Amino acid sequence: MSVVRPARCLLSRRFAATGQPAAGATPRCHAAPFHSSTQLSAKHKSRFKSIRAEEMGLVTPEKVEEYSKKMFPKYTPEEMDILRERYTPEQMVALEAGEAAVDPKDLTIQGRIRKDPYRLPYLDDFSKIQPIIDKRPNTLPPPDPNGRFMTQEEHADDLTKLLENLIPKDVNFENMSEQEIEKILNERVNLSMEQAKYWNDPTTMTDKKPSNTALAPGLGKKLAGVEGMYKPPIDPADEGLDDQGLYQDLKRRTGLSVRDILSISTKILVIRNVDNQTRLGKIRSMWVLAIAGNGNGRLGVGEAKSVEPAVAQMKAKLLAIQNMQPIRRYEDRTIFGSVTAKVGATIVKIDSRPPGFGLRASHRLFEIFRSVGIHDIAAKMPRARNPMNSVKACLQALTSQKDPNELAIGRGKKLVDVRKVYYGGNVY
Amino acid sequence: MPIANVVNMCSHLQNASRARLGLTSVQHSKYNLHVLLALHRAGFLSFVTRGGPFPPDPATLSTFEPEPLTTANVASQRLWVGLKYSDNQPVMRHVASITTPKRPITANLSALERLCRGFDASRQRGLNLGEAMVVGTDLGTLEIREAVERKVGGLLLCRVGP
Repeated sequence: MSVVRPARCLLSRRFAATGQPAAGATPRCHAAPFHSSTQLSAKHKSRFKSIRAEEMGLVTPEKVEEYSKKMFPKYTPEEMDILRERYTPEQMVALEAGEAAVDPKDLTIQGRIRKDPYRLPYLDDFSKIQPIIDKRPNTLPPPDPNGRFMTQEEHADDLTKLLENLIPKDVNFENMSEQEIEKILNERVNLSMEQAKYWNDPTTMTDKKPSNTALAPGLGKKLAGVEGMYKPPIDPADEGLDDQGLYQDLKRRTGLSVRDILSISTKILVIRNVDNQTRLGKIRSMWVLAIAGNGNGRLGVGEAKSVEPAVAQMKAKLLAIQNMQPIRRYEDRTIFGSVTAKVGATIVKIDSRPPGFGLRASHRLFEIFRSVGIHDIAAKMPRARNPMNSVKACLQALTSQKDPNELAIGRGKKLVDVRKVYYGGNVY
Repeated sequence: MPIANVVNMCSHLQNASRARLGLTSVQHSKYNLHVLLALHRAGFLSFVTRGGPFPPDPATLSTFEPEPLTTANVASQRLWVGLKYSDNQPVMRHVASITTPKRPITANLSALERLCRGFDASRQRGLNLGEAMVVGTDLGTLEIREAVERKVGGLLLCRVGP
């Protein structure tokens, strides 16, 4: 039903429906539909019947007993021994009284999911520590607030005590010759091991007991639930050249190996500091233009911007490698004819030159020609020499070279290069 | 005004090929015809033929015979020219006239040789890759390389390039 249909029409239909006697089954709803979607025929019902726990036999006394025994078992004698070591006799009496007072069946039956307004917004079993989510419990006492470094005398005492502890207690050294004593000591004491322990783990604090530290615990190497899940993205085909994973994306895009990628020379030609003016101030970032060339007829230009200079430079270099395209070269040393390209107000004119001419170009264009593997060329920028536009125009000029064979085909001619025909091909 | 006709024809050919036309017509004159024939020999045009106000049928172009030229129909005659395209680009993208009625520009043989090799001469830029010039000489209207081959200089009429 169209929304633009007048409301009068809707109302008239409704009155007409109520005025007529109902034929057959009475309609569920007399109201005319005020919306264009189709009416639901009936209230949605679940396809599955809900079954009560009683019908499934989950709340029989035997089941309750079984669950209570499984979830809330009594302390075994061994566990009581461990508790006795840890707690005082008074605490043990209180613990046993508490154990006797609470029936495990009550724990099973009376356990409820909280509905009070002060409940936590999530469900959790506080009797268990999940190593990934939960904070680690502090098993050790806090460090001694009066702890300090030992003085020289205390240090000396500490060392003597350490050495005294090394002497075996169960041997009577009286009336023994020095050789015998030395023999026994050599047998019983691993002096080099103790030395290594002392130098590796020297304690220069007066508080020598282990204590909690304010530092966060280091990540365990064998963390439960995480162990074996994380694998660093190192491809053995990279020969260990890309452990950081910097070139993986580029490798996938270009199909080059990491060794090939690293062999491509890149150079940053233009850097600009650009600001984004927001109402909170300027956000400074760096814009970088880089070129990449293999020195053999392939050239790419990449531009990137980032708040972090290093990120912008890396991105620009990777993009430059990704954007590499073939550049036409005559005799792998110069270009075909002369080409001109214009970007903005910058015009770049490039002319081919004879062998041995060299690169006569401004420094950015020089870098471009060097990276693409052109050795004889004359470049001129008669108008503006904007750094960014000069690089872009140069690329445009290099790519806009015409293919002589294509031109010859277009004119129906046969093209023959006669350079290297005379003088036995020794033209240069 | 023969030179003016050639100048107009150059502009028209450039416009037509940039508009990707398949064939076009220019004014029927001897000078135009000779320039067009030189361009045809250089491979810039697919065909050149005299015809009436309507173009010849492309299907029967190879056997097309223009009606005999008489004083009655000479005024309505046109030169029909086929334009060429290669790789979706016009073969003849740039057509620029050099000599104008007000300023004829001539080049002797040495100048033509220089131009041919890509060096500047006769106040003209040397020919770039795929470019050609049409020269009006005593031996007829020739393409620049034909003129150099026949060792003759002349009037630089137009410059054609991709």
